[in-house]
Amino acid sequence: MRIPDDFLHYLSAHEDCSERLLFRAKDISAEELDVSIDAEAKRIRKMVRQVQTEVHRMEAFVRLRPLGPCVLYGYLKPRHRIGEIICDFFARRNPQTIVVLGNGHESWISFNYGGEILRKRGAKMAETLEQLKSSFNCSEEGRDVKDIWQAYYDSQYSPCHKSAKSSHKRMPRRDQKAAGLRMVQNKSIVTLDDF
Amino acid sequence: MPMVTLEKIARLAQESRFDSLGPAVDVDPEKLSSLGEGTRYDVCASTHSPRNPNLPGICHSFSHDGRCVSLFKTLYTNYCSHQCNYCTNAANCSRRTATFSYTPQELVGITLSMYRANYIEGLFLSSGSGRNEDHIMERMLETARMLRQKHEFQGYIHLKVLPGASRSHIQEAMELADRVSINLEAASASHMSEMSSTKNYESDILQRQRYIRDLATSENLPAGQTTQLVVGASNECDEEIFKRVLYEYKEIGVRRVYYSAFSPQDGTPFQNNVPQPKWREVRLYQMDWLFRVYHLHPQEIWHAFDENGLLPNADPKMTIARELVDLPRRPEHCTLSRAAHGSRHRAQKRQENNCSQKETGHLPKG
Repeated sequence: MRIPDDFLHYLSAHEDCSERLLFRAKDISAEELDVSIDAEAKRIRKMVRQVQTEVHRMEAFVRLRPLGPCVLYGYLKPRHRIGEIICDFFARRNPQTIVVLGNGHESWISFNYGGEILRKRGAKMAETLEQLKSSFNCSEEGRDVKDIWQAYYDSQYSPCHKSAKSSHKRMPRRDQKAAGLRMVQNKSIVTLDDF
Repeated sequence: MPMVTLEKIARLAQESRFDSLGPAVDVDPEKLSSLGEGTRYDVCASTHSPRNPNLPGICHSFSHDGRCVSLFKTLYTNYCSHQCNYCTNAANCSRRTATFSYTPQELVGITLSMYRANYIEGLFLSSGSGRNEDHIMERMLETARMLRQKHEFQGYIHLKVLPGASRSHIQEAMELADRVSINLEAASASHMSEMSSTKNYESDILQRQRYIRDLATSENLPAGQTTQLVVGASNECDEEIFKRVLYEYKEIGVRRVYYSAFSPQDGTPFQNNVPQPKWREVRLYQMDWLFRVYHLHPQEIWHAFDENGLLPNADPKMTIARELVDLPRRPEHCTLSRAAHGSRHRAQKRQENNCSQKETGHLPKG
């Protein structure tokens, strides 16, 4: 996988990225970064890859639930500062729907309005959702498709191919936790308060 | 970066009045699971589609066997009039389960709601032949049509072409889907006659594949056509499979061939046949990659087969390299460099073909 041209965007989202490192990275091109054996360049490359990996996994693993007819929300507690990237991704995927992602500390809101993404940072997820609930005056949380998914997912398992190792490798616990998958799996009913 | 108030976002969303709930979904879990089981052995390794804008492949979940579950992979109906000796849905299976069938509306509802919730990237729709193959194909197309046209569904759609599908149905499927496929199942017509008494290899399968090849344009079917083989159901050897695979890549132009090791199912005429080991599937995939991705010449790949025409349970790349080193006309450094320059060569080829990383990211490890 090549280093993307906008790698600074990913680097700045890394939890350990300092101003100094970002400043130094500005002088390096993506091509150089791809092949360099300099210790700092290698570190930057590794950090970019870590953020890219988490972005990819969160885009895959975060599950959304409807809140009334205009809102989709989901749990997200990433290690790196990628909340906005992920929220924008889901807003683009679901045009004209407000997408809210977050956890007990912070939340991100994105809305794709005719191709333009409108954003807002919020406090606790539960608070943001309460605000939206009162704006829309909706009390109903909407249908969850978890049961449909579970019945379908179980049907895809073929015992003769069982390989727990490769399954764990592709769905690391840490990423499942960040996307709230384990919380959803372990509780039969997840309420707004769980966020 | 536009930052706005929550009230403004809420007001705009209310004005656009989009229903994030989608159509109501109420499905019998038994039906979901029976029709889902019907596609358990169908492989979909990637949901990448090189359309404009490009659709990246995302694996949303993995089953306990480590395989990606990123499409809602299901049968339209599990009622089938074909008599395939390996299949539990076949008319000659003595332990057929209850028959179920979806309606296009149900499939659309399930697909949309799971897509919105980010469980899946799209729909993979296959089917038994029902009482009338043409009718089932029409219903499958109606499902895809509703998704694309009525609900402006942007996700991935893979449609299976039923053996008896008409040319006009195939054309419509190609316009609606990202990828279509028709399963070869057997390596040759004689093996097919052992496996099924009702399917004609030439007219039901190869001819339909040629229709797809001939109808393909730069606009339709961005992810091309693929096919799948059941490995070891009729005692065919790997060499026969390789010959067929070469034909598929060169003459039909399939993007990928998938292999599925045969496992005997209770109640089918093949229930007492020997199950094929998983590694056979893995070795075939490795052979496939040597040809398709590493561009080894078929004559080099022939070295990988043993005297019975089978691939041994060893890395075919190493077997080929050892064989070629012994050849007097070929200096050693040639072979070694070829065996070793894998990833760089692959990256170059990938760039040349403008082929996606996702599409080529599933090399079975051996």
